[in-house]
Amino acid sequence: MTINELNKIFIVAKWEFLEKVKTKAFILSLIISPLIVMLFAFGPTLLLSHQEEGGTKPIGILDASGKYFLPAYKKISAFTLKNNQPAYIVRNLYNKASSINALKKTADSLTLKNDIDGYIFITSSNDAFKFEYRSPGSSAFKDLSRFERTLNQVRIESEFRKRNADTSLIRITSANVTMNPVKIDKSGKEAKNDFLVTFFSSFMFIMVLMMTILSSGGMLIRSLLEEKSNRLIEILVSSCTAKELLGGKVLGLCLLGLLQVLVWAIISLGLLGNNIIPPEAFNNILPMLVYFVLGFFFYSALFVGVGSVVSTEQEAQMVNSYLSILLIVPVVFIAPVIENPDTVLVKVLSYIPFTTPTIMLIRLNASHVPVSEIFLTFLILIISTAAAVVFSSKIFEIGILSYGKMSNLKEIVKLIKRR
Amino acid sequence: MLVLEGLRKEYKNLTAVDEISFSVEPGKIFGLLGPNGAGKTTTIRMILNIIKPSSGTITYNGEIINHAFDKLTGYLPEERGLYKKSKVIDIIVYFGQLKGLSKIEAISNAQLWLKKLEIEDLKERKSGELSKGNQQKIQFIIATLHNPEVLILDEPFTGFDPVNQQLIKNIIVSLAQQGKIIILSTHQMDTAEKLCKQIFLINKGKEVLSGSIAEIKKKYASNTVRIEYENASDKISALPGVVQADVFNNYAEVQLENNIAPEQFLKTIINQISLKGFSIIEPSLNKIFIDEIKKDFDN
Repeated sequence: MTINELNKIFIVAKWEFLEKVKTKAFILSLIISPLIVMLFAFGPTLLLSHQEEGGTKPIGILDASGKYFLPAYKKISAFTLKNNQPAYIVRNLYNKASSINALKKTADSLTLKNDIDGYIFITSSNDAFKFEYRSPGSSAFKDLSRFERTLNQVRIESEFRKRNADTSLIRITSANVTMNPVKIDKSGKEAKNDFLVTFFSSFMFIMVLMMTILSSGGMLIRSLLEEKSNRLIEILVSSCTAKELLGGKVLGLCLLGLLQVLVWAIISLGLLGNNIIPPEAFNNILPMLVYFVLGFFFYSALFVGVGSVVSTEQEAQMVNSYLSILLIVPVVFIAPVIENPDTVLVKVLSYIPFTTPTIMLIRLNASHVPVSEIFLTFLILIISTAAAVVFSSKIFEIGILSYGKMSNLKEIVKLIKRR
Repeated sequence: MLVLEGLRKEYKNLTAVDEISFSVEPGKIFGLLGPNGAGKTTTIRMILNIIKPSSGTITYNGEIINHAFDKLTGYLPEERGLYKKSKVIDIIVYFGQLKGLSKIEAISNAQLWLKKLEIEDLKERKSGELSKGNQQKIQFIIATLHNPEVLILDEPFTGFDPVNQQLIKNIIVSLAQQGKIIILSTHQMDTAEKLCKQIFLINKGKEVLSGSIAEIKKKYASNTVRIEYENASDKISALPGVVQADVFNNYAEVQLENNIAPEQFLKTIINQISLKGFSIIEPSLNKIFIDEIKKDFDN
């Protein structure tokens, strides 16, 4: 490659980079993409933890057995909101004068009138108890689990008392065992192997990779379309070779992608500092970045080639959606791969360049991947990227000068062979 | 001198350009004419080294063209358009740099040309905000910014109002006078007739007609004169040497016998009718174009 060629590649890359950096689409994607990723990653947790802040809830207890109300009342009333207000105001719905059926009817109507959020209904026959939480909507997960825990405690305490057992045993018996998974490797390092950490870490990287490729790939196809429809492409290829143009466009695109990643990295470092993202998510940051960059190059090279065949807006959308599907397919594998990172299928998928980046991003976090395998997959990605560049530049040389109906695959293959 | 020799371009089922040869001298505007789909664009693309000919050669000053030739060419394509969201000056400088100018050269040349085309004040605007005519001026600047030796202009006048057409015409003529090779591709036969010294008429990929305009007109001259007169319309057909005459109230178009020269005819009739005017009718390029293309399609 001569200095002249490099110079032209650089001029094209600079133009592509500077002109796209200024576009609204790019600035939006810079801000919106991490927002979407965060929404996916933290949305459910945020939703759960925010339910409590709904305020104090009136609930009722209708205890037909007569054994649970008082202790349950005490314990449930003790729950507080963040501002130290009681979480629940508990009403006793039991009344000796009425039949259980009548009481239940009254309680149901109170609930439906929204006087209370719902009520705990306790019945017993012989020594078996039945517990219901009756409410008009689907009940909040957090409330239900609190009531369950409370009533279990009450039941155990009453059984202990019945048998005159030492009540201090209650605390011991009600403590649960939790199993902490620890990932170990040959070097003796230990790491917390948390499904959530693995998921978030891999998931974030994969989402960011996808968004970067999709947004910059989409921009590239649109700009090629513009250049083709106003024949600027002819002035361009009469000033430099198609290869220089392709090289410049891919380079500009990659710079754009890297800028995006840089901005997002700064954002996530900020989140890391605030303990929003667990630091374990960045354990394998170096190989992960390599997979990210190689994956990005590979897909960008493909986008440029395929994009050059497009000559109308509709075709551009079609091509874009095909490539998006290609990108999204590996995401389906995230959860199963985290659970079983060492199956044969997963290993096979790690050697197919289309899925290599995604699968390896997960495997790195989910299990111990041998260094040899990491380098082998790097090599596969590098070779496939080179192949994609050669393939794309051939399509590109033909594609940029064809304005008619989009060539089908057969025609493209023929064209490539003929040259 | 730019020389095309035995140039041929084949596609799968189609010969777009079939064995054409011509040469273009510096300083003379060369007209590349032909109907739509005749092979003009393919020829231009080969000259610009965008596509390779299937056979035949293109040489510039004796050397077969290669990518070093890119710097020497400027091109105004027929379809118009620019990067809509980019600033005028940025676009001009980008293309100038691709043609080998330094950034400083590109900027100073751009200033010069923007001034020459009377659109200096638009340089910081986005190209999408400009009128069609002004966008076209920008494209013209892109084609000429790097002072190319070979300038290819595809329909440079369409889309301009008469004032700007004249402005562009003057610039093209002065570029030719500076010794540049200018290839003008157009459908406007009257423009080609006025500007071009040489033409090449192409149809269905093949040469139909070529040469200097003067020669071509001579070849297609039908020995016809136009005479203007007073009160003589009934005498015209009977004049000596007249083969056929289209007679109107005050003038007539008269075709003469082949062996009678117009000046000889003038001498004969000057005493017979009261003559107001006399001129030799040359066939217009437009008529030659239409006749030849028709003939070609009939074959």
